[in-house]
Amino acid sequence: MRRRPALLAALACATAVALAAGAATSGGPGGPDHADPARALPAPVMPAFTPGEPVALPAERHVSRWAAVRRPAAARAAPDPSAAVVTRLELRTPEGTANPVAVLARRTGTDGRPWVRVGLAILPNGSAGWVPRTALGGYNAVRTRLDVDLRRLEATLTRRGRPVLRVPVGVGAPGWETPTGRFYVRNRLSRYRSPAYGPVAFGTSARSPAATGWPAGGFVGIHGTDRPDLIPGRVSHGCIRMRNADIRALARRMPVGTPVVIA
Amino acid sequence: MSAVTFRDIDRDDALGEAVERLYGCTRAGLLRRAAFGGAAAVLATLARPAASPAAVSDVDVLRFGLRFEQLQATFYTQAEEIGTIGAMPPAERRWAQTLGAHERAHVKIIKEVLGPKAEPAPAFDFGEANETPRAFIRTAVAMEDLTVALLGGVTPGVHDRGLTAALLGLLTVEARHAAWARHIAGADPAPRTEDAPMAIAAVQAAVDKTNFVVERPRMRGRSSPPFTG
Repeated sequence: MRRRPALLAALACATAVALAAGAATSGGPGGPDHADPARALPAPVMPAFTPGEPVALPAERHVSRWAAVRRPAAARAAPDPSAAVVTRLELRTPEGTANPVAVLARRTGTDGRPWVRVGLAILPNGSAGWVPRTALGGYNAVRTRLDVDLRRLEATLTRRGRPVLRVPVGVGAPGWETPTGRFYVRNRLSRYRSPAYGPVAFGTSARSPAATGWPAGGFVGIHGTDRPDLIPGRVSHGCIRMRNADIRALARRMPVGTPVVIA
Repeated sequence: MSAVTFRDIDRDDALGEAVERLYGCTRAGLLRRAAFGGAAAVLATLARPAASPAAVSDVDVLRFGLRFEQLQATFYTQAEEIGTIGAMPPAERRWAQTLGAHERAHVKIIKEVLGPKAEPAPAFDFGEANETPRAFIRTAVAMEDLTVALLGGVTPGVHDRGLTAALLGLLTVEARHAAWARHIAGADPAPRTEDAPMAIAAVQAAVDKTNFVVERPRMRGRSSPPFTG
């Protein structure tokens, strides 16, 4: 340990001598540049890219979320494993697609785990229930919304609050009224062989109380038609019919999970 | 100083189970017990032999980097959108929002650099990992540490010097993220004298086994519509 000060002093002397020698060989100001060791060091490599400014999240008012059921689970009246069962969520819809639910709220349950309040595709329409977060897959966001005006027989699709498509529709005939409320698009079907449904059909979470005996229990769809002459009108068993060109235009713009508000 | 373990950040035990499947109970037990300060190093020791650097092109590195940045950016973005970050105290909120904004900027630039060679973003399911502030913070620590290990592992193998310089720029920022996240979590911001690098294959294996990257649910069908008509 006693040798360290001497070692440091020797190192300092050597450094001073080396610096003095360097100054002498470079000739000081005006001397040849290549002799300056500092100047001979390579310049930093320029990066191939540099990220721009941080990207803050925009404030959005027109976002709705949905998630597909990841494992069968009971939807309960409260975020509590012992709360009453409202219904059971299955992995698949009757049409064989993944089964989405609208995400309405989140809360920590009585078990200390995260729970999610979800919109349910059951009667009575507008039902909701709580499921453990682990029952659902990843969240998906949509910025579209479809408003169906039963009085004006018109459907309007908005994106980020702005109308992007407005088309005439056929709705439920007397006795088969299209249910009102807030629903969501569950799936999209195409390439089937049912001309009465046109080229594309969307399944929704709306159920017709008058058509529970219908296959799959009377889900209300949004689809094309082979009777465009009946649109607009009150002509269906509860479904929302569009002319085929209109349903194709809608299909290009409306993702699954889009809220559907029927009033 | 609290010891953050993988068990803490891995509530569904995805990482633990994944390692168990890959390497057997003994190593999984080791990982679960490992203090988080050494978690990346432990993972690195578990890595299978990686492909030689020559087998991985610069585009491969960027593509993997994009995927990993998308994973992180979506994790932070979603936590902000669903309100997890909003429920945090101001200092933690500022940290989480800053990291999210940085990761989104990283995604943006790497996508621009890759151009048509950029692959579409995969679907993500973070389960409970970003539902509560506690789970979110601990998962963020794991992600940021893993990012540092990844960049430390791939950067020396990159062929283009300009790209190497760019990745070093990301590496230093990610190291700041990791230290900040550890500070927020109450863990040691600089627990080691060096950060162990990880090969892409090892990082891929770790990410795969979290089940954060998932298949998109199939929402389209061809069955005849059973709707009310």
